[in-house]
Amino acid sequence: MALLELRDVSKAFGGLQVIDHLSLHVDEGEIVSVIGPNGAGKTTVFNLITGIFHVDSGEIVFEGDKISGLAPHRITNRGIARTFQTLRLFLNMTVMENVMAAEYGQTKSTLLEAMLQLPRSRKEEKQIRKLAEEKLGFFGQRLAGYRHGQPAYSLSYANRRRLEIARAMATNARLLLLDEPAAGMNPHETHEITELIGKLRDDAGYSILVIEHDMHVVEGISDRVIALDHGIKIAEGLFDDVATHPLVIEAYLGVRAETEEAV
Amino acid sequence: MNWSLFFGELVSGLTLGSIYALIALGYTMVYGILKLLNFAHGDVYMVGAFIGFFILQWLGGPLKPVVTGWLAVAIMFAVAMIGCGALGVGIERFAYRPLRNAPRIAPLISALGVSIFLQNSALLLWGPQFRDYDTFDLVGVKSYHIGQNFFISNIQILTISVSIGLTIALTLIVSRTRTGKAMRATSFDRDAAEMMGISIDRVISFTFFLGSALAAAGGIMFGLVFGQIFSLMGFTAGLKGFTAAVVGGIGSIPGAVVGGFLIGLLEAFATGYLPGGSVYANLYVFALLIVMFLIRPSGLLGSPVIQKV
Amino acid sequence: MSSLGGGQPGEGGLPPAAPEVEPADQAQVGTDEWVARVDERRAAQKGLSGVVVRGWERLPAPARLIVLLGPFAIFPFITNEGNLYRYGLLTLIYALLAMGLNVVVGFAGLLDLGYVAFFGFGAYLYGIMASGHSGHHLQAEIAIPIVVVSTALVGLLLGLTSWRLLGDYLAIVTLFFLQAFVIFVNNANGGLNDFSYPFVGKVDLTGGANGLDRIDPFNLFGYHITTTKGYYFFTLISITLLMTMLYFVNGSRTGRAWRALREDPLAAEVMSMPVNRLKLLAFMFGAAVAGFSGTIYGAVQSGAFPGDYDVGLLITIYAIVILGGLGSIGGVVIGALVVNGAPELLRSSSNARFLFYGVLLLALFLAMRPWYKPLLVLLGTVAFGFAVHGIASAVWSRGTAGHISGGGPLGRGLEHWVLLPSHTSSIAGWAYFALIVAALVLTLLRDWWRALALIPTLYLAAFVWENKLVEQVSGATRLIMLGTLLVVIMNVRPAGIFGTSRVEIV
Repeated sequence: MALLELRDVSKAFGGLQVIDHLSLHVDEGEIVSVIGPNGAGKTTVFNLITGIFHVDSGEIVFEGDKISGLAPHRITNRGIARTFQTLRLFLNMTVMENVMAAEYGQTKSTLLEAMLQLPRSRKEEKQIRKLAEEKLGFFGQRLAGYRHGQPAYSLSYANRRRLEIARAMATNARLLLLDEPAAGMNPHETHEITELIGKLRDDAGYSILVIEHDMHVVEGISDRVIALDHGIKIAEGLFDDVATHPLVIEAYLGVRAETEEAV
Repeated sequence: MNWSLFFGELVSGLTLGSIYALIALGYTMVYGILKLLNFAHGDVYMVGAFIGFFILQWLGGPLKPVVTGWLAVAIMFAVAMIGCGALGVGIERFAYRPLRNAPRIAPLISALGVSIFLQNSALLLWGPQFRDYDTFDLVGVKSYHIGQNFFISNIQILTISVSIGLTIALTLIVSRTRTGKAMRATSFDRDAAEMMGISIDRVISFTFFLGSALAAAGGIMFGLVFGQIFSLMGFTAGLKGFTAAVVGGIGSIPGAVVGGFLIGLLEAFATGYLPGGSVYANLYVFALLIVMFLIRPSGLLGSPVIQKV
Repeated sequence: MSSLGGGQPGEGGLPPAAPEVEPADQAQVGTDEWVARVDERRAAQKGLSGVVVRGWERLPAPARLIVLLGPFAIFPFITNEGNLYRYGLLTLIYALLAMGLNVVVGFAGLLDLGYVAFFGFGAYLYGIMASGHSGHHLQAEIAIPIVVVSTALVGLLLGLTSWRLLGDYLAIVTLFFLQAFVIFVNNANGGLNDFSYPFVGKVDLTGGANGLDRIDPFNLFGYHITTTKGYYFFTLISITLLMTMLYFVNGSRTGRAWRALREDPLAAEVMSMPVNRLKLLAFMFGAAVAGFSGTIYGAVQSGAFPGDYDVGLLITIYAIVILGGLGSIGGVVIGALVVNGAPELLRSSSNARFLFYGVLLLALFLAMRPWYKPLLVLLGTVAFGFAVHGIASAVWSRGTAGHISGGGPLGRGLEHWVLLPSHTSSIAGWAYFALIVAALVLTLLRDWWRALALIPTLYLAAFVWENKLVEQVSGATRLIMLGTLLVVIMNVRPAGIFGTSRVEIV
């Protein structure tokens, strides 16, 4: 059974059909890439899955339960977390706090318990701090030790992307939605991100749905690639098949697939 | 049914409504372009009323003005509108512009500060007492009646028609002129407009000028209709003007006018008909605002906002 | 394929970060490292302020609490009843009130402009339950919890609007709520125009414009608090407890979630935080604190009066929170001390004079570098003043005819320096207007031009102060100062004087 499934999902803004009867699925332990030109509706798919937008028709199913229509935080608690294409960190909070904030859904203590420092509140704090350290530890030296207490705004661009991933991991998700994780990174960092995404699946056991423009990254990580254009799925399959698919080439303004890679 | 009460409230509601509409236009334009709630707008309206008053004094006072009554009124309008326009531009330049990229809460607090500053400067300079416009002596108020129960005075006709006239003029400016086009572009996407060579600063200044000038006109109308002005008149009027803008759909010019008339009528009819209306009319306006937010947050004529992620 | 030329430029317009150093190679410092060392650079801050800041940051939390509130505990033993009330008790009540607002605005980022209505609600509700006016005399240990819970519930109702409201709309709804509250308490005296309630008919709830008088002093478990000192310590203990609790909350899941909500509501929602519930919680928490402070204020005043809970108070509390730094737990105490203490000093005009010139000098010397520049400006202003005064006494006798009443030596000195026309009203009005323009123009000038323009502006400020502002030091002048303070702080240092500065998304 698929972990996540979109069944015939449509979404329009005013008269503009952004997503048109789209069906796709992500299996357990799979890395699926979504590609397509700008405005193809890739980020809208993420917004629909995470509940920021509501679907007009069709349904979204996660682990067999319908999640379309739920509030975003409930969907996250079910086990789906995302990163943002335009980074949306809590900039004035520390690195550690950013990660711990995302563990809200896994804790239960109330405001009153925190005010009076009752045992449950203290115990939970300890637990989630340990968990947060674990998640940050996944990035090795990049987000280690002395950086925990620094405000997020002091991080470099690449580290902010890493912190976003750490924050998504901290929600205890099983499915990660990564929105252009390599955007704005230099070749070296891009290479590192590619390895990291592989590690996220192999070592940490996440299933991943990723939007990416960088074809090197897409080729390097994807089990399966889905190409979107104008909200319609135009191709699906292995990277080589999709990249050479005539409709995909046409969608990228007739540019041949080989040259497209270098853009 | 008591028709004379009904028509009385109708006319006073329309008069009040045209004043609120003028205030609401300023709110709606500034909000449309800057996404800023200009708390000081109500106080600009108050300053407009006072400028009108001092011009009237300078012209010899309402009892023996050196020019004819109607000309005096026209001069009051002109000077107050230009003066307040300049005030609005100044407020934007010094209190809001430096904060254009600051967190949303910063310009709001700054606006609150400007509002308190203006209000208390007026208290300091002009005192808390009422100042008389003495409209009756100034222009000779006449009352016309249609049928048995429908009465309307020339001042009320003036107020309603000036308000509608100014709204039409504003609509023409926004829809027909180059500057108007720049305003619309800026309100749609400020950054993109800037990249297209539009001088954002000038567009915003112009918007503040127009909005504040309209508020000044509203302030003078208030003085003419009620005969009296006072330094704390801006606060509540500002609240209602904003409510009108929201009810009509913030960012929409016709919406502001519709909202203004709606609030004016509600207030007038609440005073006449609802329990405790004479003292609690504002509470009913507040209730309308809440209901509006719950049912249709984007207002009567506004379009729903799509959040970009 | 191995030629890694595929890096996409970021769509957010940010330039790609500089190449990073290898993790093993920490000796080399890249851009990343440089950015990350922002704290180290701040730690290298020179001078007295650096020492104070570092010392403060190094203190453990309990020690900070003692440093902050310790002086307040000593204060009652070194002052008289009147000063204890004016400078001590009111400051503490304002601080307590501001702490609640700080949660709503500073933590959760919700601009609640109806906040002081809850303060008034607390005072009135307590008065309805325990006063000679209403005829009920409930014990405080029962009445206070009822007030706290009821204000929290009203906060919940008002907070519900925050679910649907996009950003600033909340501000106007809450401001209108405050207005509605003031109108209501002004009229709900069972009079001719008042509502007739279902079942009970017309009731005198609030005493209308005359206020609800004869509110009982606190009767806590049979112990009556009747002295200023008693209320002072009651409030001080409340602040200490609340501050401790807030410190814990700040580091808890709820506190983090509130701050995340302030930073980015959408990201917070997607990161598993129930944004709407958290907003309501913040509203309720703030309202409860305000209601609690209101009971103290009502009991201290032994009455609740509609004029006390108006926009003037709102501005005062906002000024406190902003001065103390949005989101800074201890800052509100210092903010309250400045915002309440200073205007109290202003009440006597000779104090006010010292304060006015003192603050001008302080601001001058703090804002201008290097040190000799403000000194030159100061000397220039003094000389300028004597010159103007000299010329005026020769050609415009009316201009120096006025006197300063009761100013002591400073006042007598000023009489020879600042112009004091005999009929001031119109001249001073224009001068006030000119001062505003001059101050605004100053912000546009740079370097020595600014210093030069400062000389006549300072003299003008002194002129306006002596001829106009000093008349209404406890009324309009005070609020003008607060309004100016809000605008200036927002423009110069949005984080507040005592808050840590924040970075915004670019």
